[in-house]
Amino acid sequence: MTFNDLRVSVAPRLSGVGNVSRIVEEFGDANGLAEPQVYAVNLALDELIANAVTHGFAGVAEPRIEIGLRVDDDRLVLTLTDNAAPFDPTRHAGAADIESPLEERSADNLGLHLVKSVADRVRYEFTAGRNHLTMERNLAVAA
Amino acid sequence: MDIEVAEERSDETLILLPVGRLDSANARSFEALVMERIAGGEQRLVIDFSRLNFISSSGMRVLLIAAKKLQGSSGTLVLCAMKDHIHEVFRISGFDRIIPIKDSREAALVVTG
Repeated sequence: MTFNDLRVSVAPRLSGVGNVSRIVEEFGDANGLAEPQVYAVNLALDELIANAVTHGFAGVAEPRIEIGLRVDDDRLVLTLTDNAAPFDPTRHAGAADIESPLEERSADNLGLHLVKSVADRVRYEFTAGRNHLTMERNLAVAA
Repeated sequence: MDIEVAEERSDETLILLPVGRLDSANARSFEALVMERIAGGEQRLVIDFSRLNFISSSGMRVLLIAAKKLQGSSGTLVLCAMKDHIHEVFRISGFDRIIPIKDSREAALVVTG
C-alpha cells in the first residue's frame, strides 16, 4: 500500500486539528519528510481549519472539510476543500503586522501570513459550492 | 481542550513548560492559565519551549497578550529552548523583535534576574 497520496476528512471543529496533525506526522514518517516540512503542513492546516470553523460555517447544514496531501516529485502538495463560505486567502486584503513595537503589535491576520510564508505557491478557486485551496512547498529548499 | 503545562520556579521567576502542541484547539486554555498566573502576581515569566513541538498563530497570540500585559506592569516575559523550525516561525512573524528568545533556560533566567 502506498501512503504518498493521502486524503482524509477532518471533523469540522477546532479539536479536529490535533487529530489531523497526527495523520500528517505519520505521512511525514512514511515519506521521509524532515520535521520543518511536517510543521509547515500542520501550521497551514491549523490556521485554515480554524479559520473555516470559526468564520465559515454559519448556516451550513453539513460542514465538510477534506484535505489531501501528496509528494509530487520535489514538491509537497497540500489541498484543502470545504463547503464553508467563499474565502480566498490569496486575495485577503488584511496584512499582518510584523513590525510594530510590542505595545502596538496586533496578531490579526498572522495566521494567513504564516500560511503564505510557508508555502511556495498558493492557488484558490471556488467551484461547485466549495473552496479549493492548493498549497505547494518545494522539498528541495531547506526550511 | 486543555494543554498540559508543567510549572517550575527559580527564585522570583515562574517557568512554564507547555507540552506537545499549542494550537487553535487549546490556545484558550493556555491563555487562561498564563493570565491567571500574571493576575496572581507573577511578574517574571519564562516560557520554556523544550517540550513543545508545535505552535500556531493562536498560541503566538497568547504570548503577545502576555508580553503586553507584563510590559504594562514592568514585568518580563522571556521565551527559550525553541526548536529551529519554531524559531523560524517567530522570525517570519517578527515576534523575535518584540519578545526575547534565548537558546537555553539558563540564558532566559539571566534576563529575568
